[in-house]
Amino acid sequence: MSELGTAALSGKASVTGASARPISDDLRKQVAASAAAYRDKPGALLSVLEETQRLDPNRHLSEDALRAIAEAMDEPLSRVYSVATFYSYYSLVPQGQHVIVVCRGTACHTRGSLGLLQETLAMLGAEDFREDEEASFTTADRKFTVRTVACFGQCALAPVVSLDGVILSRLTPSKLKAAIERVARGGKR
Amino acid sequence: MNDSNVTLVELSVDGVPVTVASGSTILKACQAAGVSIPTLCHLEGVSSNASCGVCVVEVEGARSLVRSCVQTVSPGMQVRTNTKRVLEARRTVVELLLANHPDDCLACMRNGSCELQSMAERMGVRRKAFPRTRKEPAQDSAGLAIIRDNDKCILCGRCVAVCRETQTVSAIDFAGRGIRTRVAPFMDKALSSTVCVSCGQCTLVCPTGALTERDETDEVFADLFDPDKVVVVQTAPAIRASLGEALGLPPGSLVTGKMAAALRRLGFAKVFDTQFAADLTIMEEGSELLHRASSGGVLPMITSCSPGWISFIETFYPSLLPHLSTCKSPQQMFGSVAKTYWARKAGVDPSKMVVVSIMPCTAKKFEARRPEMRDAWAWWKDQGQDHKPFFDVDYALTTRELARMIRRAGIDFTRLPEEGFDDPLGASTGAAVIFGATGGVMEAAARTAYELATGKPLPTLELEAVRGFEGVREAALDIDGKPLRVAVAHTLKNARAILDGIAAGTSPYAFVEVMTCPGGCLGGGGQPVAPDWEKRELRRAAIYREDRGLTERKSHDNPAIKELYAVFLGKPLGHLSHELLHTEYAVRKV
Repeated sequence: MSELGTAALSGKASVTGASARPISDDLRKQVAASAAAYRDKPGALLSVLEETQRLDPNRHLSEDALRAIAEAMDEPLSRVYSVATFYSYYSLVPQGQHVIVVCRGTACHTRGSLGLLQETLAMLGAEDFREDEEASFTTADRKFTVRTVACFGQCALAPVVSLDGVILSRLTPSKLKAAIERVARGGKR
Repeated sequence: MNDSNVTLVELSVDGVPVTVASGSTILKACQAAGVSIPTLCHLEGVSSNASCGVCVVEVEGARSLVRSCVQTVSPGMQVRTNTKRVLEARRTVVELLLANHPDDCLACMRNGSCELQSMAERMGVRRKAFPRTRKEPAQDSAGLAIIRDNDKCILCGRCVAVCRETQTVSAIDFAGRGIRTRVAPFMDKALSSTVCVSCGQCTLVCPTGALTERDETDEVFADLFDPDKVVVVQTAPAIRASLGEALGLPPGSLVTGKMAAALRRLGFAKVFDTQFAADLTIMEEGSELLHRASSGGVLPMITSCSPGWISFIETFYPSLLPHLSTCKSPQQMFGSVAKTYWARKAGVDPSKMVVVSIMPCTAKKFEARRPEMRDAWAWWKDQGQDHKPFFDVDYALTTRELARMIRRAGIDFTRLPEEGFDDPLGASTGAAVIFGATGGVMEAAARTAYELATGKPLPTLELEAVRGFEGVREAALDIDGKPLRVAVAHTLKNARAILDGIAAGTSPYAFVEVMTCPGGCLGGGGQPVAPDWEKRELRRAAIYREDRGLTERKSHDNPAIKELYAVFLGKPLGHLSHELLHTEYAVRKV
């Protein structure tokens, strides 16, 4: 049934590169623990998704992880998938060791975020990044992932880029390049 | 709402004063005032998520236009429904929806029954106003029962609501955001590899052609035109109360005789009746219940006629599978009897036989292709005839598909004479007719089980306590001083409540009937689209009217069933019954 199912799906699948590898027993236990910790709290599913992604060795939510979360939280699989694909924070594809998120909101755009994005991609060797695909680019050595976001809400500090979760503000291409080189050497942001 | 403490609200709609209960939506107030407000995402009793914006009206003093399907009335409110601003906004909303909708109405299965199409006409859309912004999404045509074409989806959310709220299956939800928002199963998998039970309620509520049944009318026409094939047809009880509606007659039209005539005009070699097999089901299931009750078997026993329900319990409550009756559904009993008993009697090569069933159901397509449903083939093998494996039932068509075939063949349905079914698999009783309504299998089983157990006829045939549309209904039958508590549930949400009781060990019942769809088969996922409770009530009335008009109303009184046991099967629950009429279930992992 499932074989027939996959074969007859025509056109392009909407989630490309989503990983099917099973999660570790450790992570499975962590999922159960955070599900128990957040149970009955508002936004519990968001918190468990966030924690699971953070604990995952590849900083992403695999199919197996989503299944484990659905089971632990007694939520339908479709619901967990719905939430995980709605928020740009969650990644269903494996991410690099360092995650660079370039803000493409209006304020950042007018202050040169496209240049920041292009510069970063060129620096990391990305060739076929298409912005309209909601794509992410990960370097072959899995060191860096570059993504975009619609807006961080930090417009007064435009243009901004998030590097490993920390917002870098009023950036120029050279400042961003220096920051990336610093973390690449294992230094601080 | 409790009638005794309703407070009333006065408001005006287009200058006309109207009084409605407080808490009513503006939409309801407009309807009360005789104004028809267009709606797309709103569907009474299913969803109202204000996602489409077609129902906007102007409210005096409000800054922006108001969505009438969710905004409630307040005293003195002045509503304007047909101002320049309202009409322009509504048309723009529809034009925006059409920007990302394909222009292939002519080749769409919903051509003529599409709500978006008629909405475009009603709003005066005369141009392709906006360019497409959405990429063409993937089509999901993997399923045996349901096809998804997200390119036609307008994201109204009715399917998501019916799947989650009515059925508690939640096979689909919104995924992604912004321009990439789509209705999707988990991981955008094919629907057929998810928890979907193929009930087809989504295909009933979908306003467009985004969710449809797998149409198999071409395949059936091809077999009908093939001189080597012997194509016979069976029709489910609920079809006679809905086929007329699908062909433009008023809802609740009872068209048994015209339906038989139309099937004959289409070229079916024999026009048989699933009701014959429904009577057979009652013989087996009634006997199984009495056997379980007297031998300490697993109780409550739950009916097994509704294939969406079977997939549901196999997926969500596999530990309760021993509660399911082992009886196949009437569709499948018919198939295995037709390709053994009737094929031999008529001297027809079973491998050249094609059994087509007309069902109010999309899940029946899935059921017919369950790999274990080849018992006639296995029986012939035991007789020394080794054929290439064939299914007991070859095609299960929905009411909608049969209506399509009748229209395509140019049959003027209203002018057809009333004709009967062919013998012997066309004979049935009133007990079989009521299989089409929630509570009907229970009532039919009671009519026979009571008499089998006591040797006396039931005091009254009509079991009013299990009739109606209440979600769960229960009754206590008195069988010669011994009480038998029974329950009836329709929709999977209500079935879940009963199953939770069984799992908790608190269920007081001996026998439970479950039907997947609202109202039972008469509200099935293969019935005419855009259902509401009024239409379901009219179909229900037609079914009980048919029962009342028949002379034989108890399954064990069906002479063709008596003969089938006398010359072929032996006795209920006998060896051959087990081979041909019973089945087993498996845990469904998805």
